Amino acid sequence: MFRIAIQRGFSCVKNIQSVIIPYYAKIQPAAVTSVRSMSKHSTETDEEFDARYEAYFNRTDIDGWDVRKAMNDLQGMDLVPEPKIMIAALRACRRVNDYALAVRFLEAVKDKCGTRMKEIYPFLLQEVRPTLDELGICTPEEMGYDKPELHLENVYDIH
Amino acid sequence: MTGAGPGCLPLGNESDISSMAGHLLKVATKHLPSRYVASRIFIPSVAYHKERIGNREVVGFGLNGEPSYIDRTDFPMPAIRFKENSQEIITLREKEKDDWRKLTMDEKKALYRASFCQTFAEMKAPTGEWKSVLAGTLVAMSLTIWIYVWMKKFVYQPMPESFSPERKAAQFQRMIDLRINPIEGLTSNYDYENNRWKD
Repeated sequence: MFRIAIQRGFSCVKNIQSVIIPYYAKIQPAAVTSVRSMSKHSTETDEEFDARYEAYFNRTDIDGWDVRKAMNDLQGMDLVPEPKIMIAALRACRRVNDYALAVRFLEAVKDKCGTRMKEIYPFLLQEVRPTLDELGICTPEEMGYDKPELHLENVYDIH
Repeated sequence: MTGAGPGCLPLGNESDISSMAGHLLKVATKHLPSRYVASRIFIPSVAYHKERIGNREVVGFGLNGEPSYIDRTDFPMPAIRFKENSQEIITLREKEKDDWRKLTMDEKKALYRASFCQTFAEMKAPTGEWKSVLAGTLVAMSLTIWIYVWMKKFVYQPMPESFSPERKAAQFQRMIDLRINPIEGLTSNYDYENNRWKD
């Protein structure tokens, strides 16, 4: 009886651990098809990278949490996402029923274009336009968000 | 229910964990005399944040895992929505589940502002701070020059007479007579036969 009580106690602790630790990192994007190497240099090609992120966004059971994680990760990388990744991300926004997220994503990708915005952003919009029309997403320009709309006082200027 | 020992509670979603941890702490401190227990029990950081964000929905990992809101161009999706879930926003969310082409522009803007505080354009808008910085710098520079003028007039003693123009001319003529730097320097440019400067 004593042994059973201890075993039950241990299984309880294990359950706590499995729930407390990575709730945030519960699903990773699918495994890379390249050979595992010891250095940090990734041997993944561009097509593999695109395919991986497109498959990630195209998951039918995707969560708003995972969509945001992938979008934040893409924002941190030194690249502008391919139109097919953008299309998959916009469809993922539709699946989680979040319109603001789609517009925010478009703004974020526009910001990633950096100094070459005039060349890259119109091309991206042109590629993504059928999806935008199909889902009913307005670009930030159509919403009037390419210019500042509201002003927010800088907290450091409030005395 | 998998655990039946003391202190084990049925596990639910994430909010249960923080309340469970708080409950554990309360259970543990129950046996201490009340004068040793602080009036405010320490709760884990997740529960601390959840108290402060009110009714806002936690939607992601955000910048560092804490349920806070911040506008950053390099982390465009914060961890929580910006506005609390009021009744209008809840009705808008129901409409959002339907076709987005049916949303009016005002509703789309309201949805955006419910989730986010500033747009990218507003985040990156120039503040004009450079004008006040430049003005302050120039004022400081002119103040410095005024202070120097005052020093020269009231603090410093008069210069020695050897600094007067006639004395300086005489010193210069002495340098020519002494053949200072005759190879590549000063008097290499002086024509001694004709007593004038070379062209």
